[in-house]
Amino acid sequence: MPYTLVGNFNIMLRGTPTTAANYLIKQLPKATAFINSKFEVVHVSDRWITDFDFGKRNVLGKSIFDLFDSVSDDLKELLESCLMGSGGETGVERFVDRSKKERWFEWTNIPWFDDKENIIGIIIQAEEVTARILQSEKLKKLELLLQNKSEVAGIGSWEYDTFTQQLHWCPTIRKIKGVADDYIPTAEEAINFYKEGYSRNTIAMAVENAKNNGTPWHEKLEMITADGREIWVIAAGKPLYRDGQYIGLLGTLQEITEHVNSENKIKESETLLRTVIDNLPLNLYIKDRDSRKTLVNRAECEYLGVSSPEEILGKDDYDLYDKEIADISRQEDLSVMRSLTPIYSRETLNVTSDGSATTFLTSKIPLIGKDGRASGLMGISLDISNLKRQESELRNLINVTSLQNKKLVNFAHIVSHNLRSHTANFSMLLDFLKDEKDEAEKENILKMLTAASNNLLETLENLNEVVTINTNVNLDKKPVRLYERAHTIVESLSGFLQNADAKIDNRICPDLDVKVVPAYLDSILMNFITNAVKYKDPSRPPQITLTTEKKDNYIVLGIADNGLGIDLERYGEKLFGMYKTFHENDEARGIGLYITKNQVEAMGGFITTSSEVGKGTTFKIHFNDKD
Amino acid sequence: MTKINTVSIIDDDPITIFGITKMLNALECCESIETYMNGEQAIQAIREQLDTQQAVPEVIFLDINMPIMDGWQFLDQFIELNISRTIRINIVTSSIDPVDRQNWKDYRSRTHHLIEFRNKPITRDEIALITEAVKQS
Repeated sequence: MPYTLVGNFNIMLRGTPTTAANYLIKQLPKATAFINSKFEVVHVSDRWITDFDFGKRNVLGKSIFDLFDSVSDDLKELLESCLMGSGGETGVERFVDRSKKERWFEWTNIPWFDDKENIIGIIIQAEEVTARILQSEKLKKLELLLQNKSEVAGIGSWEYDTFTQQLHWCPTIRKIKGVADDYIPTAEEAINFYKEGYSRNTIAMAVENAKNNGTPWHEKLEMITADGREIWVIAAGKPLYRDGQYIGLLGTLQEITEHVNSENKIKESETLLRTVIDNLPLNLYIKDRDSRKTLVNRAECEYLGVSSPEEILGKDDYDLYDKEIADISRQEDLSVMRSLTPIYSRETLNVTSDGSATTFLTSKIPLIGKDGRASGLMGISLDISNLKRQESELRNLINVTSLQNKKLVNFAHIVSHNLRSHTANFSMLLDFLKDEKDEAEKENILKMLTAASNNLLETLENLNEVVTINTNVNLDKKPVRLYERAHTIVESLSGFLQNADAKIDNRICPDLDVKVVPAYLDSILMNFITNAVKYKDPSRPPQITLTTEKKDNYIVLGIADNGLGIDLERYGEKLFGMYKTFHENDEARGIGLYITKNQVEAMGGFITTSSEVGKGTTFKIHFNDKD
Repeated sequence: MTKINTVSIIDDDPITIFGITKMLNALECCESIETYMNGEQAIQAIREQLDTQQAVPEVIFLDINMPIMDGWQFLDQFIELNISRTIRINIVTSSIDPVDRQNWKDYRSRTHHLIEFRNKPITRDEIALITEAVKQS
């Protein structure tokens, strides 16, 4: 019980009040009233008048219950029991002043004794406690609010007092940790709730750091609850100081298990999705409404020659491809997004900035946003360049096969024709010989038979040569310095060339190698050069120019002459045929070009011809440089 | 028995020319025999005969595979010439290529001349048959 003035004056005021006593009471610094057993005011301090705002109103002789509109039952009881002798009871009473303002007063009542120790009334002292009451109400409200907040948000708070070494947990923390409401933890126990390993080490270090260096902490950690659940929490804390002196720690704890779990699940499915799209043997991308790429998979990155998607994201086709190709793609995108109809497996040709062309089977699927309009599209491209290439290789192979088949049939006819013409001659001549009487004519026929026989042998040799060329397709080709080879052939023909007054202009690139069967190359060069001289225009000396160029997979040897020229429209088909000749030339046997053609083709090449009658002929021998 | 005026042999093989000539002579069926080494020579000669109003050959033995101008190219030009008589043209070849047989059928349907297809060697009997047919027509 607080020590009050009332106690001091108690003895002094016992007995009949006097004017002096009255005056003394008037000056008491606290609001004080003396009431008699009928609860009528006998003495009051001035402070009482001012504190309760009575102004000039006369209070003396008035019942206290009349003076105060609402006296609580509690106070009434207190006052009554005070008259019975129990003293020192206090109570807080609400009071509304004239300006309707709520105020609170603490009443202290003691019995008023006369000098014979009879209770003659009550001494009441009132002290305004409005500020305190309001404060405590506010505090209560705040506490309530905090508790609500803490429960709703699941954020608990704790406080550690280093002096008492006591750790205080709020109910939310107890709930998070799954302990009873009356559980009192020690600091060590609190640490041990954290999962052994990273979590426990981290929190222990954080606490030490806070104590020693004053650093706060905020960590995502794992904890094992009293009932054995593994949970995720955000643990935060900071040191408390008073007058610069460390006095404890204060912190919060929030369970985020669900959050972490769903985060992990999202991460997992993102990883799964990423793994799937990155390992698809398809180029996959998502574009926004402006055809800018917002997602690309690894295959697409590799195709565009970048190491990470960031280099492509945000770019559109105009950044990545030529305008022509980008235009087509953009038109497709717009049409898909406008019509909301997907494109499936359309064959498209893409050329990247480095110039490499790829054939794709492209699908574009619109992505439909919440507003029912396209928010972008998903593109899937399957690289079918290999298939295309194989298809074309297969077609080439079929072409080659059917060509060879044709050649074979053709060759069979040539063989049959040649053999037949000779045997026919034999049979005819022998028939003549049988009936011939004239000796001179017999001699003549025998001469012809010998000639026919020689012709047949020559034909067989020629045919054999052709067969050899065609069966030795797998003869090893080796790189041969073309310039030097041509030079050697020209040297070996020097007599023949000089006789014809022929000039050779060897413009072959000096360090160029061709992959050929060397003997074939010699035969080819020999044939074309001698042909050029054989079929020279009589009006001018032969001039032969040798050139080279590279064209795709071929090295092209050009042999241009200024000879008679050939009417290709008329003879083109037969130019390389067996035993075909086109000029009135006794030296023409019609076998050279046929052999040459077979040799070039056996090495995987081909020959093209251009010619103008009276001007000259150019043969272009394409040597296969690829295989 | 009248004789055929002129027989023409067009072949680049001297032995064939020798043989046919020999057989014709033995048959004593024609006044003269002309020989040409290729189609070009033959068509030039026949053109000249037409231009100078000389008699053109009534029978022609024609080889297919010849340099400069082959048998088919010769036929192309020959059937365009203004010759109202039916000339007997005997293709004599050692070719058994079906393409050549097909060509023969095409040419035969394109002209009023009588074109026949024979494989070498041609025999005396065949030549006799041909010349007999000409004499009786």
